[in-house]
Amino acid sequence: MLKNALLALALCGVVAAAPCMAHAKLQSSTPANNAKLTQAPKTLTLNFNEAAQLAVLKLVRDGQEIPVPLDKGAKAGQTFTLTLPALSPGTYTVQWSAMAADDGHVTKGSFTFSIAA
Amino acid sequence: MEISGWDIAGVFAKAAMYAATLVAAGAIFFLVYCQTLLREGQRTVIRRLIGILIGVAALLSVCRIALLSGSMSGDVAGMFDGSLARMVLGAGEGRATGARIIGLCLALLALSPKTVLRGPAVLGGIIAATSFAWIGHVHALTPNFAPSLLLCLHLLCGAFWLGALPPLWVIVIGGNEPQIAAAAARFGKLALRVVALLLAAGVSLLLMLLSPAQLLTGDYGRLMSIKLLAVIAILGLAAWNKLHLTPRLLRREKRAAVLFRRSLAAEITVGAFILMITAAFTTLTGPP
Repeated sequence: MLKNALLALALCGVVAAAPCMAHAKLQSSTPANNAKLTQAPKTLTLNFNEAAQLAVLKLVRDGQEIPVPLDKGAKAGQTFTLTLPALSPGTYTVQWSAMAADDGHVTKGSFTFSIAA
Repeated sequence: MEISGWDIAGVFAKAAMYAATLVAAGAIFFLVYCQTLLREGQRTVIRRLIGILIGVAALLSVCRIALLSGSMSGDVAGMFDGSLARMVLGAGEGRATGARIIGLCLALLALSPKTVLRGPAVLGGIIAATSFAWIGHVHALTPNFAPSLLLCLHLLCGAFWLGALPPLWVIVIGGNEPQIAAAAARFGKLALRVVALLLAAGVSLLLMLLSPAQLLTGDYGRLMSIKLLAVIAILGLAAWNKLHLTPRLLRREKRAAVLFRRSLAAEITVGAFILMITAAFTTLTGPP
């Protein structure tokens, strides 16, 4: 009886369960990684492969962190658009970390873009 | 795969949390299942062990929230950032931690020798051991009801097995040969079925997460393969205990108790390694 129940449960699970995604990964961003811009962007957009919560976002130029307002209480989503302060010419590094909404795993990454003088 | 100091701390903390929770739960199951075989002094030692493990599991569960918060911010100050901690709790870790704490509180009843409290203590052990099914890759499957039930079964069987090893060690260290033989025989009788269930549930879950070819490709598959090799090793030790050493113990053969103790020590070591690998691939990687 128990064996049959377990077998049925396992078969149901194997047949029905769709594979879960890997951890939340950054699919694209605007500005894109290594983008060379002629004008300072007004917003920063991050697109993830699955729903996540953006936990930390640091914008760094020459070792100095530039504050970017981030609503940590916002609901999980795949796309996050943040308003940037006025940026001067230079090379910027964006460091982010996010928590996947489905499995609670933390992922981190960084990318750079530059603004021409 | 880039691994930071936060990741390493996270893996160690998770492995220790798995070990403390599952062994506490399993030791409670053993205490109830082998109650009549144990002397009062041994029961006291096992109860103390359960108490310590419950405390460690609860502490590590709370530390894990702080570690995840710190991991996201990348600095120590992040460990005490309330908004990050709320995010961690809201993403499912809160459900799992809450269930674990409730289970551990109920499991504290095992510290009392009163028979009437055994049922609630066992229930607490079950809730605590299955709390890991409330979050993670299996919970993220769609639909997740059957996979989560299988994971609960896998966790309970793992707890029964791993949690029996320290109490058996207590018996081997302080007991006489007939008691050791009786405990090994009684545990082995149920362990055979439990191991079969553990494997059936584990293999089913594996098929849901990976195809056989993916076992050799990618970090997740490779770490899973290492776990499978360790599982084969611990199964070999368990089979050696059940089929070779237990009959020798029952025949009161010389050196059988010594060999059984060594075999238990090896099982505890491999069990700890399995939990460490599990913590690594559930923290650092994800199914492809």
